[in-house]
Amino acid sequence: MPYSPLRLLLDFDDQYQRDQRQSPDFLHRRDRQLALQAQQRDGSTPLPEDWLRTLGADRVGGGHDPRLRTWRRARVLFVLGGAVLGVLTMLGLLYYDGSQRINVTLLLGFAALQLALAILTTMQAGIGWRPWGRLLDRAGATPAALRDLQPPLAARVAHSGGLAFAIAALLTLLVQVVVRDLAFGWSTTLQTSAPAYHELTHALALPWRQWLPPAVPSLELVEQSRFFRISDQTPADPARLGAWWAFLAMVWLVYVVLPRLVFLALSRAQLRWRAKRLLARHPGMAALRQRFEQPWVDTGAGNATPAPELDQGKAADGVLPESGTVIHWAGAGLADDGLFSALAGGERAPLRLAAGGSASLEHDRAVLEQAGQRREPVLILAQGWEPPTGELADFLDDARQQWGEDTVIALVPLAADPGGALSDDTLAQWRRFVDRRQHAHLRLCRAPEVPS
Amino acid sequence: MTPAPRFAVVGHPNKGKSSIVATLSQNDAVAIALEPGTTRDSERYPLSVDGHLLYELIDTPGFQRPRRVLAWLQAHSHSASDRPDTVRAFVNQHRDDPRFHDECELLTPILDGAGIIYVVDGSVPYHQEHEAEMEILRWTGQPSLALINRIGGDDHGEQWQTALGQYFRIVRDFNAVTAPFEAHLSLLRSFGQLAPQWETALEQAVEHLREQRRHRQKRAWALIADALSDMLGHAESARLGEDASRSALEVRLRQSWQDWQRKREQRLRREVEQLYQHHHLQRQEQHLEWEPGHDLFSERERRAWGVSRAYLATAGFGAGALGGAGVDALTAGHTLGAGALIGGVLGAAGSLYYSSKLDRLNLGPLSSGGREARFGPLRDPQFGYVVLGRALQHWYQITDRNHAGRDPLTLDNADSHWLDNLSRSQRHALQKALQQSTRHQDEKRRQALREAVAQAGEAFLQWRRK
Repeated sequence: MPYSPLRLLLDFDDQYQRDQRQSPDFLHRRDRQLALQAQQRDGSTPLPEDWLRTLGADRVGGGHDPRLRTWRRARVLFVLGGAVLGVLTMLGLLYYDGSQRINVTLLLGFAALQLALAILTTMQAGIGWRPWGRLLDRAGATPAALRDLQPPLAARVAHSGGLAFAIAALLTLLVQVVVRDLAFGWSTTLQTSAPAYHELTHALALPWRQWLPPAVPSLELVEQSRFFRISDQTPADPARLGAWWAFLAMVWLVYVVLPRLVFLALSRAQLRWRAKRLLARHPGMAALRQRFEQPWVDTGAGNATPAPELDQGKAADGVLPESGTVIHWAGAGLADDGLFSALAGGERAPLRLAAGGSASLEHDRAVLEQAGQRREPVLILAQGWEPPTGELADFLDDARQQWGEDTVIALVPLAADPGGALSDDTLAQWRRFVDRRQHAHLRLCRAPEVPS
Repeated sequence: MTPAPRFAVVGHPNKGKSSIVATLSQNDAVAIALEPGTTRDSERYPLSVDGHLLYELIDTPGFQRPRRVLAWLQAHSHSASDRPDTVRAFVNQHRDDPRFHDECELLTPILDGAGIIYVVDGSVPYHQEHEAEMEILRWTGQPSLALINRIGGDDHGEQWQTALGQYFRIVRDFNAVTAPFEAHLSLLRSFGQLAPQWETALEQAVEHLREQRRHRQKRAWALIADALSDMLGHAESARLGEDASRSALEVRLRQSWQDWQRKREQRLRREVEQLYQHHHLQRQEQHLEWEPGHDLFSERERRAWGVSRAYLATAGFGAGALGGAGVDALTAGHTLGAGALIGGVLGAAGSLYYSSKLDRLNLGPLSSGGREARFGPLRDPQFGYVVLGRALQHWYQITDRNHAGRDPLTLDNADSHWLDNLSRSQRHALQKALQQSTRHQDEKRRQALREAVAQAGEAFLQWRRK
């Protein structure tokens, strides 16, 4: 089913509003995929209506569009009101009690007023003036984004009412002509002559005088039907006074009914044109085209497994045991003799060993054997700024196995700067490392302060 | 068809592997500084364009027992030609051994054909213990590249360059937290140099990423313009009862107006952050502030992002003249430029008037027979400049921020003015767009504001890059 521009715009705006709640990534992925599918199918970029249909967001179907309900109701009211008013107005204009003739000038003036109103309505819609805009905004007649549509929508309503008015009035005129004997005449306060008035009527009858001569008043009729308020002259031939009706009916048809009909068609065309223009300028349209054309780059943003929450570790700061056995793990503190002097205590001569790092596994085993022979607590210095790895864990496990469960091992992570202190976060990973070892006699100790 | 290149990012634990992956995959959810020694699997971060995979980064756990692995390899190898097979044999042998879980995880993608990105921390001294890791990687026979990341403040880059040069053909410096976007692209290009068949895919990826960045920039400016339009045109209204206090209602409306403005600004912040895929960002920012009891911005905001009265007068004149020139054009020049002159004078006067009458922001005009009170839109021309300046500052910091960054984003005010980088005509257009947004909210004016904000964004970029 073809999409009308107005419905297309409304559907598009609705979808745009819904899309505001979606993430830009999702929208890009969705629309780019649709564009690629359309390209593969027929080598073209999807049209907005295709896009809406694919999303299932098109509301085209039977029945009326609920979003235009207010306007539809207004139109019905205007048509009904216009028709009733048209009948009443024409009855009023043709009011004839036999004492006075029905003034053609008044009827012509009223037709001119109707024409002027119709033109003004069209002009107002053309320039987009919204004198009643605030009222409509409050009534929620159109979505805020589509306020530019209000002038042509209002013009359509007004012209529909105007057309109903004009047709009802014309029919009333014809009925009155049939059922009553109306006497028309013309009268004006202005200084004018019958020939001049005839020229006016002749000019007005221009559109039909060639093909409908009976609807063109003759000079004779004009002369005979003039009347003055203070006069009781009766015409030579009273039957001729009714001859004006055909002219008046044609005036009404050509200058009231037809313009309304044309302007109504124009307002419909304007509505379609403006809806198309609004759609083309809709903020969502540029964004949609961009999403169609812009390749969807996926950097795997949703792939990450979140980091587990880490605690600060349970291992408390241990007391440095008095011992002369010091192992430098991966070269930690090896160049710091002052630190070694401050650490090494006990009765026996200090034993300084190195393991880990670039040393071989055989060397590590030899170190374990050598340290184990002393049967005293062992201090293991490590690079505190480096994370404790599996190799250190293996070394500690091997040590426990070789030295026995009761041997105290003091693990001393050092700061990168001699004499510096590790941050709490850095120390926390060492605490957790000690927790994971589950070694009763493994202590985490801070390095002693070394006097410079 | 050539399979898409894959790169395993490997190294010692906590040397910034995940930071590199986070930055290159634009993913701030990548877990950085995971606990070494706890079980951890590799994570894959593909870059695909329209569903077509261009490359894949694999974040791996760090080496835990490289000396043991190397010892096993040496014990089971007979000649250099069987080394890759020996590495594969090691993985097959130890796949279920929890002690070598991390090694198996990191070696598996390499054995499956992934290139090696070996990451070290250039801020700590080189140590020989890394040699076992590098030796194992050499045994795999896969193309490799070394990256010197810098986590701390010290610089031992030269030492690392020399050492890494012995094991890797390409050694690059890359700070995952501070490297600018062009450096990301350059790094990706260097990945393509590892094997000729990978070069095309990486070049395509670079082009797409660059295009994506341009697209995001335009989108961010449009978001800023839309927020600005909303904020400039916003009004709070309420019914004023017969016996209600006018001043109490004014206080209430002012408060809800200010709250609304703050919320709208925060929404903009989140939209821009999501656009750049910063989903876990912590932000430290001073909210929009008004002097207590007044409708003025705080002096700090005004000084940082507002404009002087002289600026307002000239920009207001220019903006008014732009409108007046339309009248001159309509009369085919018969007004001899009077339209532009009158428009300019009115524009300047209007800008200055509202600027100096900030405290006029009281109860708005009453309508509906005096029963509805409105507060806003704010006519102070400074408001638009302050909101725009703050938004551009936030956007710039987001564009400049890598996804490896975990420090809170601090939005400080600057000490010079970005508007200096706008041409005179651009200033006039901006002033006009800001003025009109307070009065009209139709699509045409929104579009004009978007264009003015895009120009402002360009100027802001130039200003920050000075």
